[in-house]
Amino acid sequence: MSGGLPNAALDVRNVLWLLASMAFVVAPHAARLPPWVGAFFAAMLAWRGWIAWRAGRHAPRALVLLLTAGAVAATFVSYGRIMGRDAGTTLLVLMAALKLLEMKTSREVVLSIHLGFVLVMTNFLYSQSIPMGFYMLACVWLFVATLVGYHRGTGRAPTLRERFVPSGMLLAQAVPLMLVFFILFPRMQGPLWALPQDAHAGLSGLSESMTPGNISTLIQSEAVAFRVQFDGDIPPYGALYWRGPVLWNFDGRTWRMPEFTIAGSLDYARAERPVRYAVTVEPHGKHWLFSLDVPGEVPRGAGLRHDLQLRAIRPVDARRRYDMVSYLDYRYGLHLPAAFRRMALAFDDRHNPRTIALGRRWAAESAGPVEVVNRALAYFNARFTYTLEPPLLSSDDPYDEFLFDTRRGFCEHYAGSFALIMRAAGIPARIVTGYQGGEMNPLNHELIVRQADAHAWVEVWLEGRGWVRVDPTSVVSPTRIDGGINAALGPIGVIPTLIAADRLHVLANLRYAWDALNSQWNQWVLGYNVDRQRQFLESLGLAVGDWKRLGLWLAVASVAVGGLVGLGLVLRDLPGRRDPAVVAWERYCAKLAAAGLARQPWEGPLDFLARVEAAHPAVADEARGITADYVQARYGAGLGRGALRALQARVRRFRPA
Amino acid sequence: MLADIRQSVADWIFRARAPEPPPVTLVQRRIFILPTRQGYLFAAVLLVLLLGSINYALSLGFVLTFLLAAMGSVAMLHTWRNLAHLKLRPGRCDPVFAGDTVQFRVVLEAPARERFAVAIRRRGDDPVFADVGPAGPAVVALPVAATRRGRLRCGRLEIFTRYPVGLFHAWSYFDFGLAAIVYPRPDPAAGLPPNQSRAGDDEGIPVAGDEDFAFLRAYRPGDPPRQIAWKALARGDDLLSKEFQASASAELWLDWLDARAPDPESRLSVLAHWVLETERLGQSYGLRLPGAVIAPGRGEAHRARCLEALALHGEESAP
Repeated sequence: MSGGLPNAALDVRNVLWLLASMAFVVAPHAARLPPWVGAFFAAMLAWRGWIAWRAGRHAPRALVLLLTAGAVAATFVSYGRIMGRDAGTTLLVLMAALKLLEMKTSREVVLSIHLGFVLVMTNFLYSQSIPMGFYMLACVWLFVATLVGYHRGTGRAPTLRERFVPSGMLLAQAVPLMLVFFILFPRMQGPLWALPQDAHAGLSGLSESMTPGNISTLIQSEAVAFRVQFDGDIPPYGALYWRGPVLWNFDGRTWRMPEFTIAGSLDYARAERPVRYAVTVEPHGKHWLFSLDVPGEVPRGAGLRHDLQLRAIRPVDARRRYDMVSYLDYRYGLHLPAAFRRMALAFDDRHNPRTIALGRRWAAESAGPVEVVNRALAYFNARFTYTLEPPLLSSDDPYDEFLFDTRRGFCEHYAGSFALIMRAAGIPARIVTGYQGGEMNPLNHELIVRQADAHAWVEVWLEGRGWVRVDPTSVVSPTRIDGGINAALGPIGVIPTLIAADRLHVLANLRYAWDALNSQWNQWVLGYNVDRQRQFLESLGLAVGDWKRLGLWLAVASVAVGGLVGLGLVLRDLPGRRDPAVVAWERYCAKLAAAGLARQPWEGPLDFLARVEAAHPAVADEARGITADYVQARYGAGLGRGALRALQARVRRFRPA
Repeated sequence: MLADIRQSVADWIFRARAPEPPPVTLVQRRIFILPTRQGYLFAAVLLVLLLGSINYALSLGFVLTFLLAAMGSVAMLHTWRNLAHLKLRPGRCDPVFAGDTVQFRVVLEAPARERFAVAIRRRGDDPVFADVGPAGPAVVALPVAATRRGRLRCGRLEIFTRYPVGLFHAWSYFDFGLAAIVYPRPDPAAGLPPNQSRAGDDEGIPVAGDEDFAFLRAYRPGDPPRQIAWKALARGDDLLSKEFQASASAELWLDWLDARAPDPESRLSVLAHWVLETERLGQSYGLRLPGAVIAPGRGEAHRARCLEALALHGEESAP
């Protein structure tokens, strides 16, 4: 069977439409992939456009093959592989460009459009935000409009309206069925096959180590780290220490997480009233989860380490929500095993000799560990400045340089040097990284914790008290802890600057509204996974046993909804659709018949009116109006839509005595 | 291969039936619909998208996949609706000479709403597309080469559409018993008919060579060069043709036996040429064929009658 498409299958307008749709769908990739990819794509598009426009010669087959081989080779050189998210997307974009270039038959045009749908999908590997969702919806619309224009058949090129209206109708009518499938299609836990290593690349967040300088790059980021919904009272701002990776090992410059560790227990002394909350953490690609000091339970699919760090069993590659209980008033680790004690005291005395000497001197001069701690805090308080842009520490003894020369630094400088002093003074100490504070969204009472809230503090072990949190940054810049990073440093970035100038809080409120919307989007659209599906369907009263049961529901609902949509379409053009004026007229006659005045089959409307006027003078005016309208609708110029409605309303109100 | 299966299914379902009386309305049970090759490809793409969505846990991937799948299902309905309740009538099929192209015409009516890219085709021919709207009927003309004289039957026609997105092929068959008369190809080498008659009307004015010059008229494309008034042209007038007037009373019999040709088909061609020539000269003529005699006459209708008799010579007479 032939392609079934008449004449100019590759009509220039259809080709240009296809090229434009492709350009739109690939545009967001331009910033993500290497520049040569975008340049190659644009060049191929321009070439194909020129061929279509000037009816020029197609690229020779040998050249297309050569370019294809070149594209694969260039991808391999760029990434060292041709699989994986970035390399795979690059390859798809390049192949789409080459397909467009060589496209000659109608089948190839359709193949290119299908490739376009796959390219839409690749965008979601990078972003599933609300704007991206709508942008891609627009792209799908463009592709369907291209498809419609292409199947329009007759020689005349379809107008914009003829492309966009039918395609828009198709998509709009598809929405109900799409929703049914989205809600009921059985979701699965985990991938079907191993994900490439870079599937979740580019996620920002804390890391397993801390070197002076790496948290301050995070602080520049407005990205959301996680959101918290409190159940009940919200603890004071200064108590919001969100615990993340705990760093024990120190090599003179960098603090690291230990390679292996043992499980912790929840068996510790605690106050009676816990704080209850739910955390929705953004994907960061690592294992840790965040909780307030200290966790009171362990979420499903996670474990607790002896240093009170929550670790998910699988990396947090997708947004994840978990319920938590925390105790802010606690006593933990009263007994410190010898192995941990050694770990918490270890340092390399070839580096930072002056810092180590300082710690040793204070230990010698003080009566006990508490005095050493207070001395160190007083030392920081007196002479140091809190800044996001500290001088670079380049020597082999960075903490010496910081403590005795620059004296300008950020939480990681204070925490790192403080912990080293403690260890030198013989006090077990470790670094805790995580986030401090957050921003309350007044619209949905959700606490937003951003990367900018990243923080590092110290825990020291004191005899009889266990592990105690000490935050040296708080003595240098108390506002950092009480008011958040913006209070400590002034506004960062463009948006906070605008917000600072925004007296009426319009911008602030808009930002909160946007964030609340994003939170809903994350929870209900992007976070709609196995658990949430079960939870949602059970809240609707649907017992969802297993996927077979769900499949049955899906079949029933899609038949019902699809049937309704179809029925709506089919009913609209049943051949014998009745004239609404006649329907109204018959209703009017029926009312009169009920009142004892039946119209005879041979009686015309005007003759009947004469009898109505005689029999029911009270409604004569109404009857005259209705009859006049009916006569005009049936025998005259017809009635407009408004007049028709008026006639129907009149008939509805008509009450013969 | 798919097309073959579809064809054999359709052949089995629509076994050859007698032509229907017009008009034919494409009611629900007459319309068949199956995915096209593009439709199957689309389904494969959807499967890829679904697997990708599951594997990468892409919620918007699911949205995309399900939206496209639902769009495909809705499109099936739209494709079907694009044919449903169309009304078909046979159109005019003018006779042609063998070697020319017959235009079989079908008139489409869609009173309720616009239909786009509705195509009609004869088996094995290219389809012809048309849009039909409430504004008025559309006429689809199917060109078919008339190779030999006689009655050319159109046979069963397929009406189909793939609008709006080409994922589905909805089709139906109809047969109005459309047929066109194909006249024998005139043989220009036959010259003019011999000046003789078998009906005893001997005082007819000879035609060959010395017609009476009657008047000058405006040149019409197709006039032979010898008819052009070259002198008038040389004088600077417009291009004029000389019109010759034969005697109106003369009657000429075009006789099967006078047409000297090796075989019957060539004889018919000779006779066809004579009919045209004699008619052009304005002479009254009759036609004598084995088994058929047409009394002398003139004019368009007479000419058509004669040519039709030539066309159908030897075939069973028209129904």
